[in-house]
Amino acid sequence: MRLANRLRHAWFWRPLIAGSFGALLALYLALPVVWLVRTSLMAEIDAMSVPPRIIPEKVSWEAYALLFNASASRPLIGVQEIYEVLPSLGNSTLVAVSVAFLNLLFGAPAAYALARLTFAANRWFLFLYVLTRMVPLVALMIPLYLVVRSIGLLNTRTALIVVHTALTLPFTVWLLKEYFSTVPRDLEDAARVDRCNWLRMMLYVLLPVAAPGLIAASMFAFMFSWNEFLFALLFTNTIASKTVTVAVAGFISDLSLPRTVVAAAGVLALLPPVFVALLLQRQITQGLVAGAVKG
Amino acid sequence: MVTSVSAGRKGRRHVDLSEPTFGVLLNTPTLLLITALMFYPILASLWGSLHFQRLRLGSLPKFVGYKNYADILGREEFWEALRVSAVFGGATLVAVTVLGVGAALVLNEEFPGRGFVRALVLVPWAVPPVVNGLLWQWIFDGKVGILNQLFLDMGVIDSYRSWLANPNPAIVMAVLVFAQVWKTVPFAIIVLLAALQAIPVDLHDAARVDRAGSWARFRHVTLPWLTPALVVVLIVETLTAFQTFDLIYVLTGGGPGTTTTTLVWLTYLTAFDRLDLGHGNAYAYIIAMVQFTLAAAYIFSLRSNKSISQ
Repeated sequence: MRLANRLRHAWFWRPLIAGSFGALLALYLALPVVWLVRTSLMAEIDAMSVPPRIIPEKVSWEAYALLFNASASRPLIGVQEIYEVLPSLGNSTLVAVSVAFLNLLFGAPAAYALARLTFAANRWFLFLYVLTRMVPLVALMIPLYLVVRSIGLLNTRTALIVVHTALTLPFTVWLLKEYFSTVPRDLEDAARVDRCNWLRMMLYVLLPVAAPGLIAASMFAFMFSWNEFLFALLFTNTIASKTVTVAVAGFISDLSLPRTVVAAAGVLALLPPVFVALLLQRQITQGLVAGAVKG
Repeated sequence: MVTSVSAGRKGRRHVDLSEPTFGVLLNTPTLLLITALMFYPILASLWGSLHFQRLRLGSLPKFVGYKNYADILGREEFWEALRVSAVFGGATLVAVTVLGVGAALVLNEEFPGRGFVRALVLVPWAVPPVVNGLLWQWIFDGKVGILNQLFLDMGVIDSYRSWLANPNPAIVMAVLVFAQVWKTVPFAIIVLLAALQAIPVDLHDAARVDRAGSWARFRHVTLPWLTPALVVVLIVETLTAFQTFDLIYVLTGGGPGTTTTTLVWLTYLTAFDRLDLGHGNAYAYIIAMVQFTLAAAYIFSLRSNKSISQ
């Protein structure tokens, strides 16, 4: 077919136009992050150059080396905050992984009850879980701070783990309930015929079948906890407890810090949740849509 | 049902519980946690809003009735913060809707690399809000920010300027909205795209047979199908914008002056900077009330629009 003929048809133009807009969209979504990664991989002098260099002349791992070897560089830089990044990543990992685990530990049994058992209260429970979505976090801020302070859990990771678990559990229960409802009952019945008790049936029959759902639900909780800032800011203020969002936020107001190092800390902070989201793209998308339109 | 109960009993032969007891038991940890850490605090906040209390240890609450609320409603800063919240929320909403619908329509088309762009949509969604602030702080930086250079090269400005410490409050607000939109538009895109993909192909085919042009098809086929999802998106994005804390903490700190001091930021300042818990709780409760109203509208709209939840 000749070119002139092709140009007259929508089927020729449509993918081209959509593709160009798609490319623009991709740039919009990715460029800010690319810019951060770029800055983290520059030598400090290059990062401060005016006008800014779009593409650095050479890649430098200096900033990451400083973060990972903070104690050695401490006398040189003399800035406390750099020393905090590595422990804060550890704290965030511990908190977020614990939150994800506790969500499954408490959420899976509750979800099973809502999906499988017939009892009068289950509608009420579900209503309560949906009701928690209406509670704004700022309204919990002051009372929770007072509670945590009065039981002496300020500056502990425990306080943050417990609060994050409470905030994420209702969504987890709801999501797992949806997943469990899609698993055929025959499997459980077969397990019962084999005289399996409930715990064994859960561990060896239902949970393995619902594994994709378990992974998705726990990763939603993980990402929430890793990214959460308000309660982390209020509850954790020491090196032993501070999470990475608090550490990075502390960086931002301090203009004396090397820019490349702040960027590197930002990259390390966004890597785990972004990695998880891309890895579980389908489940996350489905979970978001279902959570938004079903409820 | 009777058989399933007996089957259940046989299965749990060691613990012989009735189905309702077992169901309640399995929900107990979750119920305890949300009662202790969500329902109790929300009531404690109401209680606290009726008291005078300082943050320092040993400060005992003193009952003052509705005085805190009366104080707040008489303060200029409350109305100013409410206005800032409304402007921030409103501007975000308009931008998210336009960009979200546009992007969802584009991603609903076939083009090479579409899967890749769809994956990219999740990136801003997953980025921690604190890091989101960091990203834009540098792009809008007055000294080494790329935006200055970009605008200079395009001839929009004739010298570098500071965007975040700008004397013009509208510019600072615009920067804040820009950052908020980048982070929250992916949610809109994802939900709207799912709604678009649920449109039966025959509807468009039928419209084509009726010789409807592409605008008429968008207006009469796509848009009505999209509306329920759009309502969900609008309400969720409103709630998100209304609650935004991290971004303001990182990007503007409520300033310059009070130009970006939203209600949430004012609540935080009152409680943890001025150490005035009574008024802080009252602010928090006003936020909770606005939120309840919005969320009730949300749930109501879900109930009346069962079409999108299949």
